[in-house]
Amino acid sequence: MKERFYTAVAERQVTTQLASGLRVVIVPRPTYHETYAMLSVDYGSIDTTYVPLGASDKVQDPEGIAHFLEHKLFEKADHDAFDLFGATGASANAFTGATRTSFLFSATDQIDENLKTLLDFVQDPYFSEATVNKEKGIIGQEIMMYQDDPGWRLYFGILGNLYPTHPVRNDVTGSVESIAAITPDLLYRAYRTFYQPGNMTLTVVGNVDPQHVIELAEADQAGRTIAPYQAPVRPVSFDGDLAAILPYRAATLPLVRPKSIVGIKGTTPVDDDLVGTKYAITVRLLLEMLFGDSSPLYQSWYDAGIVDDSFDFDFTAQRTYNYATLGGDATDASALSEALTAVIAKGADQPLLEEARFARIKHAALGKYYQSLNSLEQVANQVSDQSFGPIGLFDLADVMQAITLADLQAAAGQFFRLDAVSVFHILPEVDA
Amino acid sequence: MSIALASGVHLSVLPTTQFKTVRIELHFLAPLDVSTFSARTLLTSMLETSTAAYPTQIALSAELERLFGASFGIGVAKEGQWHRVTATLTLVNDQFSGEGTLAAGFALLNEVLNHPLITAGQFDQAVLARERENLALYLESMAEDRQLQASLATQALYFGGDSGQGVPSFGTPEGARAVDNAALLAAYQQLLTRDQIELVVLGDVAPAQVEALASTLALAPRPELSVPFVVDTPLRDTVQAQTEQAPVNQAKLNLAYHVAAPTSGTAFYAAMVAEELFGGSPLSFLFTNVREKASLAYYASSSLDPYRHFMMVQTGIDTADRERVEALIATQLTAVQHGDFSDDLLANIKAGLLSARLAAYDTPRFLARQALLDRLASGHHSDFVAFKAGIAAVDRAQVQEAAAGMTLQSRYFMGGEELS
Repeated sequence: MKERFYTAVAERQVTTQLASGLRVVIVPRPTYHETYAMLSVDYGSIDTTYVPLGASDKVQDPEGIAHFLEHKLFEKADHDAFDLFGATGASANAFTGATRTSFLFSATDQIDENLKTLLDFVQDPYFSEATVNKEKGIIGQEIMMYQDDPGWRLYFGILGNLYPTHPVRNDVTGSVESIAAITPDLLYRAYRTFYQPGNMTLTVVGNVDPQHVIELAEADQAGRTIAPYQAPVRPVSFDGDLAAILPYRAATLPLVRPKSIVGIKGTTPVDDDLVGTKYAITVRLLLEMLFGDSSPLYQSWYDAGIVDDSFDFDFTAQRTYNYATLGGDATDASALSEALTAVIAKGADQPLLEEARFARIKHAALGKYYQSLNSLEQVANQVSDQSFGPIGLFDLADVMQAITLADLQAAAGQFFRLDAVSVFHILPEVDA
Repeated sequence: MSIALASGVHLSVLPTTQFKTVRIELHFLAPLDVSTFSARTLLTSMLETSTAAYPTQIALSAELERLFGASFGIGVAKEGQWHRVTATLTLVNDQFSGEGTLAAGFALLNEVLNHPLITAGQFDQAVLARERENLALYLESMAEDRQLQASLATQALYFGGDSGQGVPSFGTPEGARAVDNAALLAAYQQLLTRDQIELVVLGDVAPAQVEALASTLALAPRPELSVPFVVDTPLRDTVQAQTEQAPVNQAKLNLAYHVAAPTSGTAFYAAMVAEELFGGSPLSFLFTNVREKASLAYYASSSLDPYRHFMMVQTGIDTADRERVEALIATQLTAVQHGDFSDDLLANIKAGLLSARLAAYDTPRFLARQALLDRLASGHHSDFVAFKAGIAAVDRAQVQEAAAGMTLQSRYFMGGEELS
């Protein structure tokens, strides 16, 4: 058990790894009423190609299987885990991303009971032909709902451009066709491979005694038969291939405002160690310097009607890929993507990178970071996300402080290249 | 605890060390008048974009960056029969910033409120033209969010499309395009001199310091208004229906109900429990029977607005399932009315309400909201003890009675069957 107090943020974090391989991270918040707990698995929508536990050849699963598995874990032969949480007044939820599946509850009472329920339902799968088929109806509705969401379509449109051969291009939910192929056997096979304690983290944030939580988790693991951890074999490797990029695609949808998004594909892996974490924050600060609210460039585009308040940007670094996206609603979708592309094309030559404003932007970013720590949910999400690497959430203030303008200039030179750029537009349908 | 800074101007300070931030909410309240919604909404865009000292967005954004990345925004909403404009500023505690951000935060609010970019008696015409167009385009683009569009259409159907309750607090695209400089100035003057003002400050602050800083805003006395908080719509004999065709993959079926329960006392809490049991929670009849057992919807839930005597059911379904889903929803409400639920389920529903409420006390937004409701809604109890006692006192018969007072009034359907 490792306990650390982070003076800069006035936070305590307790971390341990149990004999089973399960990581446990606890952030005590004695003044809070709520406790937020999350069990995360290092497994997401991109993990459709893998070597099953105990096998030697790789297999290909249907798209959307990780999300389907997440849904199905709640339902057991004779009960639903939702009801067990509900019996204590707790609320439960789960979500699947490209590289993570997380199960969580929020409770103000009977925390031990709820922790046991969380650990139990995730580690005790039950899939039957009937329940799997019924779930296809519910998830089919979810897929239809996302198809009506232009933001979702825009996002997966640009991912499809940047990663034509990498599974991150696929909707997390899969498609109605792909999930039709899911069977209990496929779910069990993926479950056994990825839902090993060594591939999971339990994160608890709230009014709890860390020692007690660890003992509870240890007792849970001791009561199960757990084979030695075998790290999942995932043949999908880092995709930084610029030649594969589709430079431009457009879709038409029944919408009111055209949408324009520009993607930049990262060409080198960004790991969750100090170097990678620092690089990811550096790129975010770089984007803020060039395109943020206080950027003269942003103001000139706003005044010219090229962008509006919907304009946004982000940098994402995950296992096997990293990219930036920039865009939003635009009266003239091409004008926005051309303006963005012109800035990126200049590489390291960015006149907006100057010291005085950089100091202010960094100062503000630090303030936003402190603000984010109010929310147990955000703390749990971020602590959990960082739990597979050596840099924790509460290290980020120090990492951020150490970044210099020269780091931003270097990142611009490395990341901004025209051949790494792709554009996706969604245009309103024209009435016949 | 609220104190009057002047006639019509009140300050509530909630000292707490639980959070790393100080939250300041400055509320402007005017009697609900549809003809002012658009000007008041556009005014928020103008005020949060520029001031005399910070005449451009980048200048104002730079000041927020200097304030340790303070978050700032101005929005509109409705509170009963009030229209509310609210400026919200979140500052990082001095403990972390090492600076006196509270005073600087009030200085910024003073600048935004009292020194907008007005020259020769006019808002800047170019800024006005741009913000007006952006607002109109944004309001038009809300139709891209089909769930939101269906929800707004259902409320318009129930309350009446041109009424204060039927029109969204942010107005319409046509209304936005019609706002001129004179209307904007009139909205600003109304805000500055006649709106009732509620200032709420929550965080690691000393009330005396906050009071001194609040006085620097120089908020002039104004008449104390008495505007009803509760909205009740007369019960109709027939169910209104509206069907719209839209190019959607997933159809939307929404139902609006009149809720008879009063806004205080045991019957008030009973309505909360009845609604939670009907469709407000993952344990509810709508979630378990419509979504989970029948597999007919990705979402199927209810929401209760007790102060408007209003409940709405929202679902996302297949167009072909419309009649089945509607019949199934009706069956679920009947089940609550007839008491077809176990004691365990009732106990769990009550426990869920209590837990969610208690967790909400961990958020600055909820706590600040309670301070506002204390001022606006008579009989409102913001403390958990009162809420817990109220929920605990609700029994099965009261839940049935509350559900019996939920009457279907409007049915809205957005379907895509005409599409190829």
